[in-house]
Amino acid sequence: MKWSLDLLKGKWLKHPLHPIIVHVPMAMWPSALIFDLLSQWQIGGNAMVRLSFYAIIFGLVVSLLAVPTGVLDWSGIKKEKPAWKIGLYHMMLNLIAVLLFAINFGLRMQDFREATTVARIPLGLSFIGTGLLIGSAYLGGRMVYTYGISVARMSKAKWRKIAEAGGANLPPE
Amino acid sequence: MLKDFLEGKPLRHPLHPMLVHFPIGLFLLSLLLDLASLAFPSVPNLVRDSFYAMLLGVITTLIAAVPGVVDYTDIRSDHPAKRTATTHLTLNLIVVALYGINLGVRSSSLVDPKISFGPLILSLVGVGLLSVSGYLGGRLVYDAGISVGRHKRRTPTPESTLHLFMANLASNENSDVIFVPIPEADRLGERETLRVEIDGQVITIAKIDQGFYAFQEFCTHRFGPLSEGTFKDFNVQCPWHNSCFDVRTGKVTQGPAKVDLKTFTIEIRDGKVAVGLPRAAATHDQKA
Repeated sequence: MKWSLDLLKGKWLKHPLHPIIVHVPMAMWPSALIFDLLSQWQIGGNAMVRLSFYAIIFGLVVSLLAVPTGVLDWSGIKKEKPAWKIGLYHMMLNLIAVLLFAINFGLRMQDFREATTVARIPLGLSFIGTGLLIGSAYLGGRMVYTYGISVARMSKAKWRKIAEAGGANLPPE
Repeated sequence: MLKDFLEGKPLRHPLHPMLVHFPIGLFLLSLLLDLASLAFPSVPNLVRDSFYAMLLGVITTLIAAVPGVVDYTDIRSDHPAKRTATTHLTLNLIVVALYGINLGVRSSSLVDPKISFGPLILSLVGVGLLSVSGYLGGRLVYDAGISVGRHKRRTPTPESTLHLFMANLASNENSDVIFVPIPEADRLGERETLRVEIDGQVITIAKIDQGFYAFQEFCTHRFGPLSEGTFKDFNVQCPWHNSCFDVRTGKVTQGPAKVDLKTFTIEIRDGKVAVGLPRAAATHDQKA
């Protein structure tokens, strides 16, 4: 089992997997909103409606991969750390966003090939979903850039050597 | 001011890693649509849709490049990850050029049911290079801690390391401590730092409340760069995982670090700020 955990944590890649995978939904769903908005002016005929549909489904499929890697990274944070709570909000917001885009996807399946504008309800869902996603992604970024989650986790040994060469006091190994 | 904005300080989050989601996702979508046009030629308009996805990808690339360049210039010139950053930047320039050509090549055949060979190859190469470049960008953050905690720092960080040597000073002193004058210290502003290496010993020199303090550069938790840390009263906070140390004593004032910092005495000699290092270190290095 340990090998599968290491696989999901990205040890083999020397890079955490979750932040890589999330690029896709994080790009696709705000882009879907942009395409939805462009479709209101019927730009490219039916093209914007189609693109938005493709973006939503691509985001949905990849977001499923982001879940196990994210949960695993989160489970490694101690509960008393501020990042744990941020991670919890991040996860809950993401769940809502995924659900909203899943519904959104369902609503579009029938007519995405013909429609020239995205209807009001799916457009509204794209708005709310994107808003939640951006909020959630910001929290995810805060975990990295303010609390250092996953930072120097896999390069600890390398930095230790550099610090040792630099004459630093070191923690016990 | 503009630099602070582009580094995401008001947002307390760097901008470049936020914006790059778009080109990465959109160029992938574009490639998938290309492949779909080969697999399902009966589905209309996939080639056109791929073009639009790519177009939005190129637009967002150009937006992401601006804070990216600013982030790049902010990495210390002798940082071990600077070369990775240069490679990342160079690859991205190649990628955006390839996608510019790609857009031009395919713009005349948007009604084709299948993507043609040339632009498909360009997309494959583009996604390949972008994956490598994106990976290197990620390594900059998760391996080297670039941009981590930087938004907390409001003063400029050291642009490079100052290299000094004790050898020529050792003979002039009789005590066990040798004082090494730091030529640039008097130019430091409040809560600014210097990164100094004296015979291999890497030291941060900080100016706080008109006084100078010297302590080891590396945090004792995961060895983050304290010369890029922030200061609260007489505490330095590591940019990576927020460990705090008293700069006067080196004592840990907030975890996760558990081990205290090495500190060094500062004296003003002939009007110059000088850092005291034990002679043993000097003689040891002379032998070596």
